[in-house]
Amino acid sequence: MQHAARRTRKLSGRLAPAVFVLALAASAARADDAMQWLARAAHAARELDYTGTIVYQIGPRVESSRITHLNDGGHEFSKLVNLDGPAREVVRRDGEVRCYYPDAKLMRIEPGTFRNVFPSLLPEQQQSLSRFYDFRLVGEDRVGGRPVQVVVFEPKDGLRYGHRFWSDAKTGLLLKARVVNEHGDGVEQFAFSDLVLNAPIDRSMVDPSWSSVPRDWQVLENAGGDVVPEETGWSVTRVPPGFTKIVEGYRKLRGRRERVAHLVFSDGLVSISVFIEPLRASSSPAGFLRQGGLNVYSLKLDEHLITVMGETPGATVRQIAHSVVHR
Amino acid sequence: MNEQISRLMDGEIDATEMDAVCATLGSDAAMATWNCYHAIGDALRSETGVTRNIGLAISRRLAQEPAIVAAPRRATAPASWAWAVAASVAAMTVVGWTAYSMVDAAPAGFAKVREAGTMSAAQMRPRTVVPADYLIAHQEYAPTNALSGVGPYLRDVAASTPVRPAVAE
Repeated sequence: MQHAARRTRKLSGRLAPAVFVLALAASAARADDAMQWLARAAHAARELDYTGTIVYQIGPRVESSRITHLNDGGHEFSKLVNLDGPAREVVRRDGEVRCYYPDAKLMRIEPGTFRNVFPSLLPEQQQSLSRFYDFRLVGEDRVGGRPVQVVVFEPKDGLRYGHRFWSDAKTGLLLKARVVNEHGDGVEQFAFSDLVLNAPIDRSMVDPSWSSVPRDWQVLENAGGDVVPEETGWSVTRVPPGFTKIVEGYRKLRGRRERVAHLVFSDGLVSISVFIEPLRASSSPAGFLRQGGLNVYSLKLDEHLITVMGETPGATVRQIAHSVVHR
Repeated sequence: MNEQISRLMDGEIDATEMDAVCATLGSDAAMATWNCYHAIGDALRSETGVTRNIGLAISRRLAQEPAIVAAPRRATAPASWAWAVAASVAAMTVVGWTAYSMVDAAPAGFAKVREAGTMSAAQMRPRTVVPADYLIAHQEYAPTNALSGVGPYLRDVAASTPVRPAVAE
């Protein structure tokens, strides 16, 4: 009996490394698939010329927008116009975004750079993708009249949302995306209801409807500024598994005398930002807020306001907020 | 009884009292108190799934029992409570935010609202939107945004109020 037990142990001892290697190879293959899929979708979004109608759902609300995208010799232009309610526009040209709000007589300028994009993720982020999400090809479907491939990133724990993507079978362009919460409910979704790919698009079609800003409008510029990487002295003691710190530093935000510490954690699919600034009389109130698939949690700590936001369940941003310490 | 239920929830009840308190939970009134206290706790801890379910009846009870929430930290002016009740009915996702702002701080915006006395609930709501400058800074690093290229801006054009960067200090 003892012998048998010892033998089994010995056998499993010999088998374990082999099983481990096999498991590793399998997960590596999945990571490659997921990364390939994501990179293809991101590439299509940047490179293709297209125009279409997007139906956007956030919570109980549904809105339609018209999107026109042009890649002119490596320079990206896009124009998004709200079709319901006030005719707001968002016009993006390379690294700059201009938002026009005719209802508020307001124009906002902000940087429009994506810095943490597929496929240029850190190796840790790529590993997290396969370790913390189950990436699966679900099948085929149709969106906006076009055949699509459906994939899911199903979270393996309760710390992240599920993501379901419908990508154009021919080009990889994302035609529909849904964020699913821990109860299986969709919290945010966008989908093309019609789409013309490789449409003849010229620059005038991606110009703002206002050739100049009307004189009675207010213009707000949010320079944002890059994060200056440096040790901030702030750290998160209980980083949720799978999240890796990708940025730490200070940034100068508009209207603030003091710099704001900004730490970013990512699991390869989504990010969580931690902002720390000295308390001011005009600081936003501490608390919790949810906007579709985005959760925001603020609290006060030693005369500082800590704000954590990310595309994860509320519990995840809350855990981070409550474990911020000053070293 | 209410105080005993409150202490039971906080794990501060003596073993000797435990049986008696648990026995009282059989009554409808005690059960209602238990549910209400949990709803308050959830709102304060911002367990959103539950907060969403806070109904008018519980909002009314919240309004009647400010001490439960406010006592541990700081006394709260009644006007904020009235607003909290309005908010929980009008915009569910705002509930947690409001509840927190009441106990954690005396937000400047609320004081002004009381002085002016004429602002509508709709005008007050922008105080509770996501801090725009943070949101813009965060969006740079959200990988899924780059998948569609328009993700964050869809939120923008659909927002009920324009997202404004913070006003100068």
